[in-house]
Amino acid sequence: MAGAEPSDSVAQALRPARRVVELTGGGAAVLDSYLSPVRYRGWTTGLRYEHLQATGFAPQHWIRQLTVGAGYALVHNPARSGNKMHVLDLAASWTLMRRWRLRPAWQLALGPMIDADGGAVYNPSGSNNVVSARARVSLGAAARVSFATRLAGRPLTLSAHFALPVIGIWFCPDGYESYYEIYLGNRRGLVHPAWWGNRFDANITVGADWQLGGTILRLAYHGHFETAACRGLDTRHVRHTVGIGLGGDFVSLSPRHRLTVRP
Amino acid sequence: MATRFHYILIAIVLASLGGCHSPGDWSNDPRGNFEALWNEVDRHYCFFEYKDVDWQEVHDRYAVRVHDGMSDYELFDLCGAMLRELRDGHVNLIAPHDVSRYWIWERRPVNYDERVVDEFYLNFDYRRASGIKYAVLTSNIGYMHYGDFSVAIGEGNLDHVLNYLSTADGLIIDVRGNGGGLLTNVQTLVERFIDERTLAGSISHKTGNGHSDFSAPYDYYFEPPVNHIRYNKPVIVLANRGSYSATNNFVSIMKSLRQVTVVGDTTGGGCGLPFTGELPNGWHVRLSSAPITGPDGRLTEWGVAPDSVVTMTPADAAAGRDPLLDTAISLLTSH
Repeated sequence: MAGAEPSDSVAQALRPARRVVELTGGGAAVLDSYLSPVRYRGWTTGLRYEHLQATGFAPQHWIRQLTVGAGYALVHNPARSGNKMHVLDLAASWTLMRRWRLRPAWQLALGPMIDADGGAVYNPSGSNNVVSARARVSLGAAARVSFATRLAGRPLTLSAHFALPVIGIWFCPDGYESYYEIYLGNRRGLVHPAWWGNRFDANITVGADWQLGGTILRLAYHGHFETAACRGLDTRHVRHTVGIGLGGDFVSLSPRHRLTVRP
Repeated sequence: MATRFHYILIAIVLASLGGCHSPGDWSNDPRGNFEALWNEVDRHYCFFEYKDVDWQEVHDRYAVRVHDGMSDYELFDLCGAMLRELRDGHVNLIAPHDVSRYWIWERRPVNYDERVVDEFYLNFDYRRASGIKYAVLTSNIGYMHYGDFSVAIGEGNLDHVLNYLSTADGLIIDVRGNGGGLLTNVQTLVERFIDERTLAGSISHKTGNGHSDFSAPYDYYFEPPVNHIRYNKPVIVLANRGSYSATNNFVSIMKSLRQVTVVGDTTGGGCGLPFTGELPNGWHVRLSSAPITGPDGRLTEWGVAPDSVVTMTPADAAAGRDPLLDTAISLLTSH
């Protein structure tokens, strides 16, 4: 029975988790030379979920972040002649970061990241190049800096998050290989190693979380930058979006995860 | 040490820029659109060497006629004329007001009159499923006309068609005037006439901007369908110059089967899988990009020759005769 009771030297780990769901909207620019050599521009909208929490181990020093998002963009050709593309994006990333408290209000966190994205670009005007599939899995690094203050007497956290995939693998047709040829069975060379020599991706988030009682109101900017070159194909996706989100801080109480408090 | 660090840093930055090189950006004016079109074709068209086309010479001949003050109509006509140098029905410039084309079948004998077949051979008594018109002729020969490979063929529909025609002594597949469509429909139809895994052809694609930058040809095979009706009796395929693109592919594969005879005219060709590009002004250009050979490994861009050449004159049509169909019936009844 003694083991079931917390002793004076053992306390339950308090790992507050910040969960926020955002609705995003903004502008998008897409170049996918498999579909068209012309850069298209338009608007984009999406949903984004973020889960930020201290880790089960060493929660004072480590945090983990999970983000999941889905987006849709409708983009038009610059001549505005009625040509358009539909873009579907799905993305997820998981980051583990070591954090340091630089000053009482400032925190810096750095760590490795694994992220993946996929989706498709559909060009109704294409013939046998009517769609371009997208898939990538990468390892990279992420950094987060935050500043805690107050606004109208309520806690306000300003933060900036920078995610940089470094290496990974991605799907790319073998030049102007048709999806019909892939369907027929020729699947050689579709998966490519990704590095900064053939693609560069970056995600930037700058946001403000304002705590109103148990609710967090978020206002954020998200920047997504992607450029890739593969066997004569060029791909560029840029999105600048503003997100408005709601969430809260949730405390995870688990008797299985204990933190030793040294006297 | 600091210098070495700087060199490493510069190397990393330069390596990262490798993913940022820019595709051609052309201005939206007559010159820019002309050059964009020429370059799009130059990079992606797949039959320059096969057709012995000097594309640079074509550029030089047409580029001098481009000037800033020309209208969209004038530019379109000039670009359309340039594209016709490729002699390819799959090459089109698509603008809001017109589609440029090189459609060889427009200038050749049609060798087909649907009304003659419907009235004098089918007596307007036929069934229709999945875009296939079918009947058993009075000579007890099955007849099916498939006019558009864009119309999906349902496996169940095809079972009904072949089951209905199974009592006939042979089958005529009429693809005259069929301008093509989906290659997956070619596969669906051909697979009903094979008993074993069969080489259907090979396909390759452009892997670079050079005129000879192609992937190694990839052989592809068709498999006989499981739990669906297969047809093993003699078959005649009727073709004409209007049998183009996917239909040309269908005829080339069917011709390689031992129980199949092709009657009529040489098909229209078109063995390059078309891709579509775009110009700064929003016009589209469609062009052959991925060559597909027949089972014999040969390109059929200029068409598939029939086993038996038969033509149809206007006098035949006026008299209610279809010599191609008559020949097919004769061949099957005497088999």
